[in-house]
Amino acid sequence: MNLLLVGGSFKTMPIEMREKLAFDGPKLPAALNELSARFGCEAAILSTCNRVEIYVARAGAATALDADLIAEYIAEFHQLPYDQIRASLYALTNEDAVKHVFRVASSLDSLIVGEGQIAGQVKQAYESAQGGGTAGIVLHSLFQQALAVAKRVRTQTGISKGHVSVSSVAVDYVRQVHDHFGDKTVLVIGAGKMGALTLKHLRELKPERILVTNRSPEKAQDIAKECGGSAIPWDQLDDALVEADIVLSTTGAPEPIMTRRRFDGILARRSRGTMVILDIAVPRDFDPRIHDGDRACLFNVDDLKRIQEETLKERQEHVKPSEAIVEQDVARFLSEWRRKKNGPIIAQLRQEFEKHGMAVSADVLAKFNGKLSEEDKKYLEGAIKLVLNRILHGPISALAEEVPEPSKHTLREAMMKLFRLER
Amino acid sequence: MLTWIEKITVTCFAASYAVAFGLELWHLFRPRPILRFVALGFGGAGLFAHVIYMTVQSVPFVSPTGSMLLLALILSVFYVGEAIHHQRVAWALFVLPLVLGLIGLAVLVQTQSPPTEGWQSFWGIAHGTLLMLAAVGVSVGFIASVMYLVQLRRLQAKLPPNQGLPLLNLERLELMNRRAILWSFPLLTAGLLAGFALQLYNGMLLQDLFSVRIVSVLGLWLVFAILLYLRYRVHVRGRQLALWTMFAFAILVLALVSSHDFSKGVGP
Repeated sequence: MNLLLVGGSFKTMPIEMREKLAFDGPKLPAALNELSARFGCEAAILSTCNRVEIYVARAGAATALDADLIAEYIAEFHQLPYDQIRASLYALTNEDAVKHVFRVASSLDSLIVGEGQIAGQVKQAYESAQGGGTAGIVLHSLFQQALAVAKRVRTQTGISKGHVSVSSVAVDYVRQVHDHFGDKTVLVIGAGKMGALTLKHLRELKPERILVTNRSPEKAQDIAKECGGSAIPWDQLDDALVEADIVLSTTGAPEPIMTRRRFDGILARRSRGTMVILDIAVPRDFDPRIHDGDRACLFNVDDLKRIQEETLKERQEHVKPSEAIVEQDVARFLSEWRRKKNGPIIAQLRQEFEKHGMAVSADVLAKFNGKLSEEDKKYLEGAIKLVLNRILHGPISALAEEVPEPSKHTLREAMMKLFRLER
Repeated sequence: MLTWIEKITVTCFAASYAVAFGLELWHLFRPRPILRFVALGFGGAGLFAHVIYMTVQSVPFVSPTGSMLLLALILSVFYVGEAIHHQRVAWALFVLPLVLGLIGLAVLVQTQSPPTEGWQSFWGIAHGTLLMLAAVGVSVGFIASVMYLVQLRRLQAKLPPNQGLPLLNLERLELMNRRAILWSFPLLTAGLLAGFALQLYNGMLLQDLFSVRIVSVLGLWLVFAILLYLRYRVHVRGRQLALWTMFAFAILVLALVSSHDFSKGVGP
């Protein structure tokens, strides 16, 4: 298939270089067009924050493109010295490139194994190549299969199970307790930067209201304005906790702001359901003894990080089965590809044999002119067809299963020569 | 000669439910989506056989055996419905043991003799139907309570949210429990009143009032009254409410197993 992949990832180059090599915005279609025009090949570019990879293929050509040429092109496109980038780039061809893209799409080559974003990014890369008209027979098959493999890995293994960011894990816990959020109150305590992403996730749940409190009323006002909530005075914290369903605490207080005794007083005043407290402040804002799992579920940074680590550990257990799926699909893809490549030869072979078979059949029928019944004629034609099929079975199977070895003559060539087939 | 329909026995559907339960258990330890589909298939097959058995054998619903088999049947419908509606949740692990338990009890009690007096009267039918519907509510409340306590245990231990036993969230489970209680109490009250009317129709005897059946049904009513008081007056929620519901279910089972003195056979 003459597939070549040249690229770099977080494993081979630092973020500064990945940023420089990114094909973002209008650079992507421009680069695709240029690659296709300059090298007369199919082209696709996968450009994410963790990797930049160029896929080129020339289905009909005798040899693959040279990796150095593509590396030179990358340097030229980004106006960077070739020597500076070449060492950080890897180049893979045919089977290795197929395996690589399958692993990438299945997030086995990701910084966080099992992350779900990469499949979407691979899809986007394919769609860009499709949109730019630079995806041909090889890249269509390759990317479609890569996305299918990614789906298979995701659904047949637990590699994507659970969340791995602290804020996502926090929201997962909230969802374990609460069912709907249209009638819920979120209380934000403090103005710590660590809470910003969690608050963003909580806002996506569309709670009824967001209350913000801070020792500094101005800061409380600012956050409330940002998140569409309302600020309340710090001395009304206990009243706000009586009303809150979800609490996000991120103060910079050196001591816990909520002791168990104080919280017991709040619980005694509450008539609402379980309160989820996400205490992501360091040092902690809430006394950990508050957690009973029934009236109050308290999760602090350590809890959330522990879950994050457990999830990652759990995902590691699914790497081996996922790799097995990738291996299987690489073998299947290559076999399909060979079948596809040798398809015209097989068809030609059949046509040739059928032509000879029909000629023999016509000769025989002419010899028995009028002496054979319709049934006999059908039997004779069937017998000739059967013999030809049996003769062809071996060569056709060999062609379909052929594993090309670069240094040797291929079966395809042998077959063409043996049966005097045209190229 | 018996047709295949007539050959269906309690063992057939009990075995189907047991296999469905086993497959769900297997799925818990070795998650494979196909296992859950197959489990649902066995559950559905069990339900089919259960319906056929109840219809062909004409099991009298008014006997303890019949009422328990009918309650098990309704809970199987609940299982199949919920397993299709909330596919992620391990319903089989919570509903099927209850179904199997009720079938087991039905087989143990094994009295199918229908009542002789008044059970076909309006009050008799009303009494039986209302108590059966209340029993369904109590059972659903029990399932929700067990699930609630398991989910609570997971949260107390701060287990990873997306690992282990898949369950509904606490709020949904509490809502399910609350609805079950709210649904059952009026039915139970109306069923009891219909029972008294039936007794008057038959000519009530003083000793009837002290039968295990009457005492347990009255006890069930009392527990429900306490449950509602706790929920809506004292604002008791969560774990305590779940434990009270489970207590109510225990009394229901007692009422189901006890003899049918109260209505001379009519009841859940």
